[in-house]
Order: sequence, then structure tokens, then C-alpha cells
Amino acid sequence: MSTHTYKKFENSDSGDLPDKMTIYQDCMNEFNESPVNSKRCRLLISRLLRLMAQGETFPESEATALFFSVSKLFQHQNDSLRQAVYLAIKELSGISEDVLMATSSIMKDVQNGSDLIKPNAIRSLTVVLDESTAFSAERLLKSAVVSKNPTISSASLTASYHLLPISETTIKRFTNEAQEAVVDLKPFPQNDVTGDYYPNSTFITQYHALGLLYQLKKNDKMSLMKLVRQFAETNNLKNQLAKVQLVKLVNDIVQRDPQLFTQFQQLLYNWLSNKFESVQLETSKLITSFATTNPRLVSPELFAAAIQTLQGLLTVPRVTTKFAALRILNRISMVSPEKIVICNPELESLINDSNRNVSTYAITILLKTGTAKNISSLISTITKFIHEVSDDFKIIIIDAVRTLSLNFPQEWKSILNFLIDVLKNGEGGFKFKNSIVEALIDIVSFVPQSKELALENLCDFIEDCEFNEILVRILHLLGKEGPYTSNPSLYVRHIYNRVVLENSIIRSAAVVSLSKFALAKNDPTLKDSIVSLLKRIANDKDDEVRDRASIALQFIESSESTGDSAKDLIQAKYSYDYQSLESKLVSYMSDSDAFKAPFEGSTVRRITDDEAKAMDLKRKQEQLQSGSLESGAGSSGSLESGSTPDERADKATYKGPSVDQHKEDLLATKYADELLSIEQFKEFGTLVNSSNSVALTEPEAEFVVRGVKHLFKEHVVFQFSITNTLTDVILDNVSVACTPEDPENSQLEELFTIPIDRLAPSTEAASYIAFRKSEDIVMEGFLCNLTFTTKELNPDTNEPFDGDEGFQDEYEIDSIFLNAGDYIKSSFIGDFTTTFDELPNEEVAVYNIHENISLQEVIDKLVTNTSCLPLENTQFAPNDSNSHVLKLFGKSALTGVKIALTVRMIKSSKGIALKAQGKSEDATLCADLVNGLM
Amino acid sequence: MSSLSLYCVEALLILDGTGDRVYAKYYQPPHSNSYVQNASLIKNVKKQKEFEKRLFGKIHKHDTEILIFEDHIVLYKEYMDIILCLVGSIDENEVILQQGFTAFRDSLDLILDSGIDKKNIQDHFDMVLLAIDETIDNGIILETDPATIASRVTKPPTNEPQLHLDLDKGLMGAWGFAKSKLQERLQQGL
Repeated sequence: MSTHTYKKFENSDSGDLPDKMTIYQDCMNEFNESPVNSKRCRLLISRLLRLMAQGETFPESEATALFFSVSKLFQHQNDSLRQAVYLAIKELSGISEDVLMATSSIMKDVQNGSDLIKPNAIRSLTVVLDESTAFSAERLLKSAVVSKNPTISSASLTASYHLLPISETTIKRFTNEAQEAVVDLKPFPQNDVTGDYYPNSTFITQYHALGLLYQLKKNDKMSLMKLVRQFAETNNLKNQLAKVQLVKLVNDIVQRDPQLFTQFQQLLYNWLSNKFESVQLETSKLITSFATTNPRLVSPELFAAAIQTLQGLLTVPRVTTKFAALRILNRISMVSPEKIVICNPELESLINDSNRNVSTYAITILLKTGTAKNISSLISTITKFIHEVSDDFKIIIIDAVRTLSLNFPQEWKSILNFLIDVLKNGEGGFKFKNSIVEALIDIVSFVPQSKELALENLCDFIEDCEFNEILVRILHLLGKEGPYTSNPSLYVRHIYNRVVLENSIIRSAAVVSLSKFALAKNDPTLKDSIVSLLKRIANDKDDEVRDRASIALQFIESSESTGDSAKDLIQAKYSYDYQSLESKLVSYMSDSDAFKAPFEGSTVRRITDDEAKAMDLKRKQEQLQSGSLESGAGSSGSLESGSTPDERADKATYKGPSVDQHKEDLLATKYADELLSIEQFKEFGTLVNSSNSVALTEPEAEFVVRGVKHLFKEHVVFQFSITNTLTDVILDNVSVACTPEDPENSQLEELFTIPIDRLAPSTEAASYIAFRKSEDIVMEGFLCNLTFTTKELNPDTNEPFDGDEGFQDEYEIDSIFLNAGDYIKSSFIGDFTTTFDELPNEEVAVYNIHENISLQEVIDKLVTNTSCLPLENTQFAPNDSNSHVLKLFGKSALTGVKIALTVRMIKSSKGIALKAQGKSEDATLCADLVNGLM
Repeated sequence: MSSLSLYCVEALLILDGTGDRVYAKYYQPPHSNSYVQNASLIKNVKKQKEFEKRLFGKIHKHDTEILIFEDHIVLYKEYMDIILCLVGSIDENEVILQQGFTAFRDSLDLILDSGIDKKNIQDHFDMVLLAIDETIDNGIILETDPATIASRVTKPPTNEPQLHLDLDKGLMGAWGFAKSKLQERLQQGL
């Protein structure tokens, strides 16, 4: 290295650093010099630390040498060098050996150093001590905790906190001192202020002491309670952080024992109006999140007060506070948006906040709390705003709008116009456009009225779209929906344009799409023109395109002779249940004998388009309920690395009230597979329908039982999934005895029972009972009794004791009902009203419910009982109204006939009155369903 | 839900105008194995730098103060050619983190006489480090009052007290001693 470059680094004006070896050599030379040049040493330490902050590191031997040299500097009594030495020791201790050797020098400083140095010395004890030496610092740390100087006290408390995992016994002896440190308000000694600044004690020592105390007492609920009482009632806590810590402490207690919540209600109430915003936030967070898991324990007044506090925090000028309040409100909006509607005015004014994070949050919350009234105004506000925000935010907004379109199908026009506007005029990357297209696809499939307008605009869009993936998706959609519109030839032109202009990927997608138009309507001219187009494409230079065109032509020609089968191949009417298809294929592949026969595709559950849509809609609405749609978007969209205002952590802590429907669907498939794998059921033929599983016991019972009803053509099977929640008892020969409620007139003949041989602790297994029934719809109730033999478990072997005969026991569980709903599959229909009017047979029934339950509970019950799909977003009862109309649609699982229901309900002081009006192609089914609603 | 741990700050970063780090410190409780949420970030410098670049892309020229980034709360402030960031755990009370961040920012403001910029930070790196060390200790917020922090940050020592003078005196003394001895001998010899 030339003298010139060397000099460059000597000049402290330069921002550059010399290389690693130079620094190392300089440090080694200078630190070992005697006498010590303190100015130069501090400069070198500063350089060394800068180097390490860049991520550079030293091999262990060099680091150890450096550490050793640095510790030589202890002989120099300059405070300002000493502070730097401590920094170096902390940084180097991670990578060097023998850090213990500095202990005695550090301890000397703790005892005799100046007040400036003492805290640094105490805190660096953390890094040099280990399990075996930690006890030696006990006396020093203890006396430092009670020091009058707040900095020394804090340093000692944090050092103890760090050391806690390795020397709990030692630190435990500080409990009293720590307690004192919370109570003791330590100001800075005013007389010996040396520097230019006047320290002003924030009493943050209280925070550190409280943090340590919690760790020391965390297993003892009673003493935690005592802590809270002691510090909450006397007004001892001055520090903001300490107060927040206290709120968290209360949270910890009530999470462990929710019943204690009532004791803290008054305290929480007071904290909501605490002078610190952080305390208000933390308290509101506590109350609202606790309310989602334990709604009964939180009084409505307290909850309202928490919301009010948050509402107030929305108007403060500090961004962080607003942001935090919005975060909490956003969590609530996923679970129960109706509860925060009162914040809407504040939220609306935040839409135009200069801070984009804040405004985006406000919009997403508003979109969730939105009611039919303010949607169009909301949409127009967003339209002004969306072009200015970044892609990530746009995607969040688009997703929120998409869920809105599912919730308020009647508002499709403004939503559609908005989406089309952003699609055509918005600048953005692939993920942004893709999310718009996805939203449009959702609207097209669930709001049929919007179909033509949306498709036409999508056609315009593909004229000028740079993303292959999106183009392919749109072409597929056009092929699927286009043939059934009033003017299919319009789309044919657009699709054919793609064939002429685009690359081979898009050409092949366009071919498939085109071929679907040929047979959809019995329009010979359309068919002829498509055939001629396809013939032209059959000369394409790309193999794939050519192949697809030839296949399509072949199908179209053969459709004249074979009819429907070719049609099915071009435009499939159903898809397979992919999960069972996969498992069937896997088992087919694993068995080499099976190859002798072709794979039997007909046993796989088929899902028709309407059913698929029904499932899709149900899933999306449920997601909306549990708020996971947003988080889901967060992990699938571009937000993977982005700033989703939603976070996984939120999802984990805020579970929606409803059971995850999708999971239940999966469960049903699993049950069905298990069922069909049992030999005795094979002769029953194919499974017609399975009901949702219903709880037959309280979820906290010793034995939890859930029932599922499986329907076959002439048989019915009840499946009881039984969970043994006990840890020390094993159950043998478990079965459920079902006796008809009305044995005289029972139309079901019991065939056999399959018991569970042995149910180990904390496991789940299923017992089955089979009945023969006639082909008609049979409805009956059964009284159920769980029968089993209990045996105690030998704790050593986890087996029952030898010779233990156990004793017979019975356990009464709720009755299981086979009702009309079990014969119905939920199905989707775009235009409910027209369909309803067209169906021939009508049946009306009136019910009066005298129990005190909410409309929402009635709706939930109706939906489960009928197994129909609620349409037009009628499954949510408005909070502010006493009447509601529920629209349900389904198809018979046996014959596939449609059934539609409208249920009008009015809530009064006497109870709820229902008027159900059912219409169906099948009069008996209709009557059975309508009369068996409740 | 909010954890009761005092370890609430996960990292402190000072990035320059191009997203390169000027200072970066990822915190980890010194003696505990239970807290491994950030394990990959703490150990792996390459990942840290990637994280910083991604974060920089999100916050550069977006003056929003606070955001949620990859399951962390990030508070930041952009100056001319430098960005100060505090990365906190997702469950922590935002206002508490804000307190820690403000303390960090304002104490830098106090100790760096001519304002916060890249050159000033590099020139007074030792003081910046001390200020950070006095604000956050292994992820615990140690102090929130900027004046208290600034009062605990020492300036680099001024030039060494006149050691060489003593040395001169010693040499002179020795010389004088030798001279007198020599004179004595010479006189005796004479």
C-alpha cells in the first residue's frame, strides 16, 4: 500500500474504510503500544466496528487476538476510550474465544468506575459471563439494581434479564430488589451533570424491572395478579413503556384464565382513557381480541368504549398511532365489520391521507364495513385514488373490491366499471393485472347479469395485452361463457384475431376456445364458420396449434354421428373431485395387477359446473368471513415480499367465528373415502350424498362425538367420529346405539354396526351404523347412546393393566336426525328470482320461534338444515333491522331436481316468525323440505 | 398476541441513499435459544443484505414513517442521503417502538452537530455507535429520552496530555545526571 492511500485513511474526513487486514494490523500495533494513545485507539476501534457493521468478520484466532489486545486498553483510565472498549468487547465476544479473561477488569469497573462507565461495564458483563461464572456477578448486579442512578439500575436489570436463561437461580434472588426498582422513582442526580445535555429521567427503569419481574413470576398466576393490583391501583407507574407492559400482563392473565376478565373490566375501562396513546392502543387491542375468542365475557359497553377509543385515535396527527389503530380496526373488520361501522366517517376522511399506508388501510377497512348504500360512492373515491398508489396497494384494493362484488352482487355495475377502468387505464405489472382479471372472472361467474358487458370489455383488453398468462385465462373464459351469450359471433371474431396475431401459446388456447363455440348453440352458420376457421388453422406452423385444431375438427364432425359424447369432450359439463381422483390414481398406480383393467374413472366423484360454483362461492364467502382471503392474497400475490397490511400473525390470533368451511369440505371427502374403503359398504353402491358433520356433544365433553350422515340409494349410514379426550383411560368396543324416536313407524331397518375396537387416549376414530331404507325420501330422528368399556391405563406401559376387565358404560349424546336437507346438494344459480318463479310446485309453511336467538343464528341453522346454498348474499342478517329474507337454492342429490326457497323472517319481542316458501320440480321433496325446516 | 418479552427490537439499520448499509445490527437475546424467529437473518450476512435491499425498495422515497414488512414492523425516517430504520417484532405495540425509534433519531440529532447525513455519521461513527448502544441493548429499549442518551455519549478524547514533555524532562534529567557524573569523574581524575 502506498503512503498516499495510507494517508487517505488517516484523514478522518474521508468516508472510505481501509481494508480489513490494514485495520487488523493497525489495531494490533496500536493497542499493544505503551503508553496508550487514547485518541488513536478510539479512532481505530471505531474503524474496526464500522468494518464489522458492514458484515465483515474475523477468523476465530484473529478475533481472539484482537479481543486480547482490546482488553489491554483497560489499563488506560480515559472514560471516553473505555466506552469504545466496551463496544469492541461486545462485538468481538461473539466470535472470539476466552472472553472470560476480561471479566475481572470489567468487574473492577463495575465497582470503582465512574458513573459514566458503570452502566457500560454492567451491560458488557452479559457477554463475558456463562453458566458457570454468572453467579460471581450476583453481588455486583444486586447492588447495581438498587442504585440511585437510573441508568445504572436499568443496566443491571437488563443484564439480569439477558442472563436469566443461564442462571435463573442467581437472578431469582433479585426479586425483591426488582420489585423495589419498580416502585422507586429514580431521578437523575442533578448536581453532577457533566456534559452539554441535561438528562431527564423517563423512569424507564420501571419498564425493565417489570419485564424482569414477569419473567421471574410468570408461572405463578396469583403473584402476577398481585403485581397488577399493586401497580395499577397505586399510581406508581410513571413510565409509558412500563404501563403498556402492565396491560400486556393483564392480557397474559386473562388469556390463561378468561374467567378473570370480569375482575379487570373496571381497570381496563380506566386505561382506555389513559393519557398515553400506547396504553389506549394496547388496552383496545386486548379487549377486542379477547372479545373474539370470549365474546360472552366482554360487556358490550366495554367493547363499544374500546372502539370509541380507537375512533378517537384515528384523528390524532401522529402517523404511528393512526397506523396502529387502523391495524386493530382492520383485524376487527375481518371478524365483525358491523361493530366498527361507527368509525366510517373517520375512515372516510383518512382515504385522502397523505400517508399511503394509512389511506390503504382505511380503504380496505371501509370496503369491508361497506353497506349497499355507500358502495358506489366508495368506488368512485377509490377510482380517483388508485392510479397514484403502488402496485402492492392496488392489489390489496382490488382484492377488497372483489370480495365486495361477491357480497353485493346487485352493485355489479359500478364495481365492474371500476375494474374495467383500472384494467384498461391502470399502469401496473402482471400481478396487478392478473388480480383484476381474476376479480372479473369472479364477477362473470357469480353475477350472470354482468356477463356480456364484462366479456366484451375483456375482448377489448386482449387486443392489447402483453401478458401471455392473462391472455390464456381470458381466452378460456371466453370459450366457457361466450357460447351462451346472445351474440357469440362477436367473441369468435375477437378470438380469431388472436389466432392471426399472437404467438403459439395463445394460438393454441384460442383454438380450444373457438372449438367450444361450434356446438354450443344449434346454429349451423356459426358452426360452419368455425369449422372453416379451424380448417385454416390446421395449416398452422406450430405442432401444438395444428394438433389442437385437427382434434377439434374431428370432434365437431363426429358430434353429428355420436352426439353428446363429443360435445362433452369439447365443452365439459363437469369436472372431477381432484382430491379423490388423485388418491384413486395413486392407488391404481401402486397396484401392478390393476393395470390389467383400465382405470375406472366413473367411481370418482364428479362435480358439475353449478356445484363447483356453489362450492367456490361458499369457500370465498367463508374466507371473507374469517378474513383469510386477504392474507391468502398476501402469500399468493406479489405481496410475498411486500407490505401486506395483513399479516400471518394476525390470522393466527384472530380466528373468525365460523368454522372453516373449506376444511370441512375436505374432511367430508376424507370421510367418504374412508367409508368406501370399508368392505361392508361396497355393496351399497355409490355414495349419493354426505351431510356436513354435526356436533352431538359439547366440544368440551370427555368424549367428543360428531355425526355424519351418508346416503346411498337404498341405504343410509351414520358415521360417528368419536374423540377420547381423556389422557389416562382407554375405551374398548366403542359404538353408538341408535333407537328410532318413533319405533312403531320406523321406515329404516337396522343392518349392522361397526364398532371401534379400541380408542386410545387423545385419538379419534369412527364407528358406523347402517340402515336399509326405501328409495323415497325418509326422514327420522334417532336417540343416540354411546356405549363402551373403559379401562384404566397403566402409566408405565401406556397399556391397560393386565386382567383389567374394565366396566361397561353408557353416555347419552344428542339425537341425530335424518331430514330433507340431507337429500339436497347446494347448488349455484345466477338469477334466483327468475328460477324461483319458473319452478312449478309451491309449498308454504309458517314457523314461530320463541327462543331468544338472533336472526343470524336462525339463518345459520336454516342453511345447515337445508344444505342449500344461500344466494345474493342473504346469509348475513343486517344488524340494524328486524326482518330479513333468506334465499336458498339446491338440487336433489337423488334425482337432481332443483329446489328454491325464500324464507322471510321477522323478529319481534315475542320471538321470530318465519314464513318459508319453497318451489321445486318435485312436489314431495319441496313439501318435505319446507315442513322440516326447523 | 403481544408477548411480554422485553426483546422487542429486532434490528437497527442505517442505510445510505442507494440502499447499502452504513450500519446494521440484528439483535438476538444473548443467552436464549427459544427466540429463533429471525434466526436466518441474524446469522446470515447475505440474507441480511438482501433484506435491506428489499426493504430499501419499499421505503425509499415513500415517506410513510411506518409499514409492515415481511412480518416486521418497520419505522423509518429518510434524510438527504441516509435512512434510519428500526425493525421491530410484529406483535409489539407500535407506539412503544416509535418511542425507541424517536430516541435513536433524536439522540443522533443531538450528538451530530451539523445534522444527520452520511458523511457526518461516518465521521462520528464511534459516537453514533455509543448512542445506539445506549438506546437499544440486545433488542431491549434501554432509554427513550434523547438528552439522557446524548449525555452518556462521550466525545473522542482530545490529544493526549503532554506525555512527551515528561519524556523530555526525563531525557534532560538523564543527560544532566550523566553530565554531572562525568564532570565529577573528570574532576576526580584530574
